[in-house]
Amino acid sequence: MNEIGQGRTAGCYRFELELQAYMEGEDAPFVPAHARGCVFCRVILEDLEALRAAALALPLEEPSPSVWSYVHAQLQAAGAFAEKVSFWDGFRQLGLLRRPIPVAAFACMVVLGCLLTAPQDYPELDMTSQVSALPARSAVRSMAFLGEGAALEQVVRELEVTFRARESSLAPDLKATYENSLISLDASIRECSDSLQREPENSLAHDYLLAAYSQKAEVLSSALEFDEGR
Amino acid sequence: MADRREQKTKKRGAIPYGQGLVLCLLVLSGPLVAADTNRTDKTFETSPNPRITVANARGQILVRGWDKAQVHAVYGVISPHVEVDTEVVPPNGPADKIHFATHLLDPLLTGRDQTADYSLDVPMGTNLEIRNTQGNVRIERFQGDDTTVESVGGSILVSDFTGHLFVRSVGGNIDIIRASGRVEAYSITGDLHFVSPTTSKLRGSTTSGRILFEGDFPDGGDYSLSEYSGDMDILCPPSASFELSAKTDRGKLQNEMPMTIRHQAATPLSSANSLFGTHLTGKATVNLRSFSGTIRIRQR
Repeated sequence: MNEIGQGRTAGCYRFELELQAYMEGEDAPFVPAHARGCVFCRVILEDLEALRAAALALPLEEPSPSVWSYVHAQLQAAGAFAEKVSFWDGFRQLGLLRRPIPVAAFACMVVLGCLLTAPQDYPELDMTSQVSALPARSAVRSMAFLGEGAALEQVVRELEVTFRARESSLAPDLKATYENSLISLDASIRECSDSLQREPENSLAHDYLLAAYSQKAEVLSSALEFDEGR
Repeated sequence: MADRREQKTKKRGAIPYGQGLVLCLLVLSGPLVAADTNRTDKTFETSPNPRITVANARGQILVRGWDKAQVHAVYGVISPHVEVDTEVVPPNGPADKIHFATHLLDPLLTGRDQTADYSLDVPMGTNLEIRNTQGNVRIERFQGDDTTVESVGGSILVSDFTGHLFVRSVGGNIDIIRASGRVEAYSITGDLHFVSPTTSKLRGSTTSGRILFEGDFPDGGDYSLSEYSGDMDILCPPSASFELSAKTDRGKLQNEMPMTIRHQAATPLSSANSLFGTHLTGKATVNLRSFSGTIRIRQR
């Protein structure tokens, strides 16, 4: 066995490389096989599996309305609505979240400028839609929470990993229903993201994108409640 | 000779009668036995506004309101490996809460064998919560302060309802007929169908399903319908008085109702199709949203 680091072997590095795929339900037999023979890696694997089980056992709670404001602020601060910047690239530039204070200060200046110069009449004010389309007001409300970040997209991703790991235990017709709904929601997420790349000020696409993520989280949470025989 | 002939005749006649009787018993005994083992009929005395919950995996659930302070429950299962658990709180006296839950004795049981059907008559004013994962739910002639119905693949039909209604089905269709009070209906791939609502507040949303609204908009009502890629059809009478806000990003907007267009302040550049206007005196508020579907507003 080649020893590369302190107590770490080439197998350990391969374990790390394939661990994510294994946790996402992909076929990676090397991971459990290596964990059986390596104490260090076995502990890592057991910790991750315990975290996943604990997450599943958590009570399902509806996120507070401010969650959507967090997401909006996070997306806005990450440049998701800027021109010529892809939504995912902007989202990945969440290095901004590591420096919340200067970002918040800059954002407050931007908001103040918007408030002073933007027109006062917003027809959407009369809307009874749950998600506000007013960037200025939602930005003011959410700036205070910038940095905490709902990380809704991360939550959805983790829920989907868990769902994929357990979907084989669902009844076929139940699984098909969930799959169809996820396909529909993923299509809407893609289209809205594309729209926002082309039209960063498209409030309708913004609202639908947030709604799609929220609905996807609800669908995945619902799916995780069901196992064969429950 | 005649006696012997007569005896033979009687004997021949007796046999068919006997066989027929046995045959009838065999034919009837099956369903009778099945009825005895699979169907249960119970009546519970309740307090004025009890809370009733039903948790089921497959099968039909029918709930009707009545004016008795009782819950009359009839439920049946297909498989002997399925039972219905009933919990009454408190155990003695009029029930404040009754929980019905379908329980699988065999965790390997799949498909239709999991079926349990319910028929409930419940007092008006009951707080009702129904979860029927892959089965249909039907609620008729009911008044409830707080009614929740959820399904994954089943369809939901609610008719002649008064109160606060929350309905959600991931993949099933939702039909709300003649509802008043407050209604919220959500689906992802299912269709939404509203007929003659007189609600003060109505919310409906589906991602890829279709929305069909047939009826008037009562004065002061607040109606908000949203779909992503399906089509939305609004059929209302010429006398409907409402303020409209309709918007679609990539879809089409088709309106047949004469409108007084509202002046809109400058909005960010967008490829959206939108219509903001008032029909007659604008006494109700109607908010329609679609991303890529077509919104059609027509006179009924």
